[in-house]
Amino acid sequence: MRHHLGWLRGIGLLIMGVVLLGAVAAPWLAPHAADDQHPDLLFAPPTWPHIRDAGGHWHAPFIYPLRLVSRLEQRYAPDRQVRVPLVWFTRGRLVMSADDRRAPLLLLGADSFGRDEFSRLLYGARLSLGVAAVAALGALLVGAVVGGIAGSAGGATEELLMRGAEFLLVLPAIYVILALRAVMPLVLPASTVFALLAGILALVGSPFIAQGVRAIVAAERRREYYAAAVACGAGRARLLFRHLLPSTRGFLLVQLTVLTPAFVLAEATLSYVGMGFPGPAPSWGSMLRDAANVSAIADFPWVLAPAAAIFLVVLGLNLILQGSGVDPAAAFHAGSPVRDAGPTADLR
Amino acid sequence: MVRYLLRRLGFAVLLVFVVASASLVLTRLAPGDFATEAFGLGANPRTVARARARYGLDEPILTQYGLWLAHAARLDFGTSLLYGRPVAQLIPQRAANTALLALAALLLATLVGLPLGVVSGSRPGPLATAIRLVSLLLLSMPPLVTSLLFVFVAARTGWFPIGGMSSLDVSGFGLVRDVLWHLTLPAVALALPVAAMFERLQSQAMAEALTQPFVLAARARGVPPGRLIWRDALRVAIRPCASVYGLVVGTLLSGSFIVEIVTAWPGLGRLMYDALRARDVYLVTGCAAAGALFLAAGSVISDLALAAADPRVRAQ
Amino acid sequence: MQPGGTLVAAIRSEPRTFNRYASRDLTTEIISRLTQDKLIRINRATDQIEPRLADRWTRSADGLEYTLHLRPGVEFSDGVPFTSADVLFSFKAVYDPKTASPLGDAMRVGGRPLQVSAPTPSTVVIRFPSPFAPGLRLLDNLPILPRHLLQKALDQGTLASAWGPATPPSQMAGLGPFVLSEYQPGQRLVFTRNPHFWGKDARGRPLPYLDRLILDIVPDQNAELLRLEAGQIDMTTDAVRPEDYRSLKQAADQGRVKLIDLGVGLNADSLWFNLNRKSKAGDPRAAWLQSEAFRRAISYAVDRRRFADTVYLGEGVPVYGPISPANHTWFWTGTPETPYDPARARALLAGLGLTDRQGNGRLEDRAGRPVRFTLLTAKGSTALERGASVIRDALAKVGVTVDVVGLDVGALVQRFTTNAYDAVYFSVYSTDTDPALQLDFWLSSGSAHLWNFGEQTPATPWEAQIDDLMRRQVAAPRLADRQALFDQVQKIFAEHLPVLQFVAPRIYVAMSTRVTNATPALQRPQLLWNPEVLAVRGSSGTR
Repeated sequence: MRHHLGWLRGIGLLIMGVVLLGAVAAPWLAPHAADDQHPDLLFAPPTWPHIRDAGGHWHAPFIYPLRLVSRLEQRYAPDRQVRVPLVWFTRGRLVMSADDRRAPLLLLGADSFGRDEFSRLLYGARLSLGVAAVAALGALLVGAVVGGIAGSAGGATEELLMRGAEFLLVLPAIYVILALRAVMPLVLPASTVFALLAGILALVGSPFIAQGVRAIVAAERRREYYAAAVACGAGRARLLFRHLLPSTRGFLLVQLTVLTPAFVLAEATLSYVGMGFPGPAPSWGSMLRDAANVSAIADFPWVLAPAAAIFLVVLGLNLILQGSGVDPAAAFHAGSPVRDAGPTADLR
Repeated sequence: MVRYLLRRLGFAVLLVFVVASASLVLTRLAPGDFATEAFGLGANPRTVARARARYGLDEPILTQYGLWLAHAARLDFGTSLLYGRPVAQLIPQRAANTALLALAALLLATLVGLPLGVVSGSRPGPLATAIRLVSLLLLSMPPLVTSLLFVFVAARTGWFPIGGMSSLDVSGFGLVRDVLWHLTLPAVALALPVAAMFERLQSQAMAEALTQPFVLAARARGVPPGRLIWRDALRVAIRPCASVYGLVVGTLLSGSFIVEIVTAWPGLGRLMYDALRARDVYLVTGCAAAGALFLAAGSVISDLALAAADPRVRAQ
Repeated sequence: MQPGGTLVAAIRSEPRTFNRYASRDLTTEIISRLTQDKLIRINRATDQIEPRLADRWTRSADGLEYTLHLRPGVEFSDGVPFTSADVLFSFKAVYDPKTASPLGDAMRVGGRPLQVSAPTPSTVVIRFPSPFAPGLRLLDNLPILPRHLLQKALDQGTLASAWGPATPPSQMAGLGPFVLSEYQPGQRLVFTRNPHFWGKDARGRPLPYLDRLILDIVPDQNAELLRLEAGQIDMTTDAVRPEDYRSLKQAADQGRVKLIDLGVGLNADSLWFNLNRKSKAGDPRAAWLQSEAFRRAISYAVDRRRFADTVYLGEGVPVYGPISPANHTWFWTGTPETPYDPARARALLAGLGLTDRQGNGRLEDRAGRPVRFTLLTAKGSTALERGASVIRDALAKVGVTVDVVGLDVGALVQRFTTNAYDAVYFSVYSTDTDPALQLDFWLSSGSAHLWNFGEQTPATPWEAQIDDLMRRQVAAPRLADRQALFDQVQKIFAEHLPVLQFVAPRIYVAMSTRVTNATPALQRPQLLWNPEVLAVRGSSGTR
């Protein structure tokens, strides 16, 4: 039943590989810096490379520069009289336009500030995936330790820790964020925001892990090898870290794949409503704010590129899970930080 | 079971209390208050000070919290500054709307997700693969984007209203139809990922159930395949879905915020959003408490559903 | 003109109150314009006053006293006759210290209330405490409340909380063209025509034309736009945002909506620095942050053409002072301009000792500290967010680092009123074209004295000069004299630049093609300032 869908896993791995490559190699792959603005190209459409001109002649890849037709309506038309060649391996970038100031290479069009959507997407992958991955690892760490202690200690400790975890599950994350924002300085460097977001998400995600780990650990404690270890005089910490926790490895690995897409969505939602990364930082969520204007979606569909990227990442990870025989529906629980982020919906 | 339920109830009360207290204090701590928000920039400081005194916002946080506690103990949760009505009167109204939306979504998700899951879990083949792929796609769709797209489509085609809960000037049977018509888009947006999740869970459980010895035995006895799948195997395979049902109810109830905001559904989420924006302390507190209550209720329902589906749990 | 029908407009927020004396937000103002009336109203289209509840008036020889004759036969929406007692009551309410009405300041002249008396049930005598050139224009601020319903609240000192949003419509009454018949929280307000309304059109037909006017509560501006395009609402609350122009233009080309160009607006978004000495006492940056040369450098560093292109998609004109050229009566044509000149900006900054000492492209002060400040703006407004980012980028080019922080309005106002900020970029709307009615901005003791909130006496000689000029300007009887005095105010303002403006946008409004007889105005509410004459084509609402 499962094995013949193993190709799903392959597709998932391929998607994630491409996305990760894009994130890692962003400074080299992106034709522009993330905050390069082209004031005359707000919401400009993509400039696709051509190799054949209007007269049917073949050339090395080139683009047609965009001409402003109506600034107010943000309409542009390619100027087919002029060919701007692409230059490769210059200034530390894979490819860019030969006349970058007047005729930039915009593979996915421009956003409302005239910034290259494609370049921002690549840089955004670093922030969005980075936060999600760090937060997921953090959640695993916290969850495993808390769940492990609860499961191995039992009794009042277990009760206290697990009630605490349950409490965290229902506490809307928005309040944590609001309160932190109130006591923190107004201007936060992007690195602090990164750490803050990762920390909060890790905290919100950890109870799921803690519950699972506790259950596994409690079950393991009833096994014979555990009794043997106790009989050999193993200390509590040793029992927990050498004997009990390793048995949760499979569970944790699955949860990592489950939490990461949930956190990608959570980051997007938070930044979308203005509680995550500040505007100029190119995270997928902050980029999606351009898509908040629904009529813009019809006229400038490329503003949905970050949504597509999020979709791809979530799909990729789901496919990997599916191909490995784990059902992504388990992700539903882990998805709730995203839903809890709902009421934050921008406190204008 | 009864002792267990009592313990859960006690925990729920504690939870609601802590969430409400935290929201009250945190809303007060956040910069700005109802008066600054209401009068804006350039208002006369005397006017603002008067208003603040009128709303009791000039008290220190702890005093205000104490007063609120004393009132809450008598089930008086304060008066909304924004709506001028008792919080205890506002919330049930909006909560009912949210419940309507959540239950509609749940019904839809169940009606679509479960049968599809049974089909894809019991009959491997191209159809099952197709269902599975669609589910995977839907699971990966952020509800925020889905609802935005729906609203956009509604605007362009005019097939559905762009938000709201009812039209003007309808009553009786027409009102029911009208509300259903308004309900469609938000409910579908909310239901899609849940339906996909039900399908996946059900499919897996079904596939597993069909390998169980009792199914083989039944098959050997000559029970027709339709009855085998839809009655015998389903009864066992429904368990995983039942176990998440309550949790889904909880998350749907407290989690329809973003859909409510995008589609202007006048539910609890929108109420909380407006309250947060206006810094309406008591209303924020009330909404947060109601949200926590929903989640707690969800997990109790979840346990009950599991007990109903699995006699072994009932025995515990 | 076809009477009857239903018009659906949108509002952005729930009504906080139905009592205009307790709130000054746009929603309350719109509701007040629908349900209440004034003695005299400013016609937003012509900017002249027009008679309303007072149908004629005379002025005393010293110019301080006006005798107003009330329109005969006017009744409140509950059938109770309107008399001068209601006018007296309204004045008493607006000056009541317990009510502390936000309208109170605007109804005072030189800080003192008007003297009002009612010799007969149909006449009111209003005496100004000191000469006041705009005269009865002031009365546009004061909707008349029914004494018979609110006297008790005023006596008990609870008027400010009277007519809260939970008040049943039957307990309220007004003199306006409509009455509230239903409020569905979170959804809409339904107004029906007031059968007792006094107004008639030129052909003697009773006003309002509409049978019903609905205000749909649509908090999200994008949703509002979609509903307009789909024909589910007939008009939007506010002017069209530049980013919405494109889709509205398409809808207009297809004949679904009307897009109206009202010309250059009266307001440009403002950038100001915290000039309060005390709040920046320990801050080593105060020397340059609060200096005139620094503000002038910013004015030179920002390319206003580029600003208009980026923020308003080219639809705006550069402005160099607080009065927009669209305000023809009061704009000083001699306002000195600071054209885009980054070299000059750098020279001005160097004059403050701010130079690039480390060769990193960023300026440092004499002690080597970076030249960097925080600019607060309101979250959620595209124009403000984009404007702030244009300012940030322009200043980065001359070596000044700006951290733009978007806050929600409540948090922004709190920082403003406690002087806990470096600089703010925000929309400050003028309530009237006449500067004499905006003394809260001009006088150093005013509550909208942006750059030094809570200042009691002028902190600088030039603010004292502006105070003096404005006091004389308010009292001067001849328009030409007032204009000359106000030109001087603008001159001093341009010399010290306490508030910087960059671009005044063109204002567009959009409405459904079924709306007829609308007279859009530059000021908010652009389309609902005279709801009694609005009409719709075709049968009742589209819904």
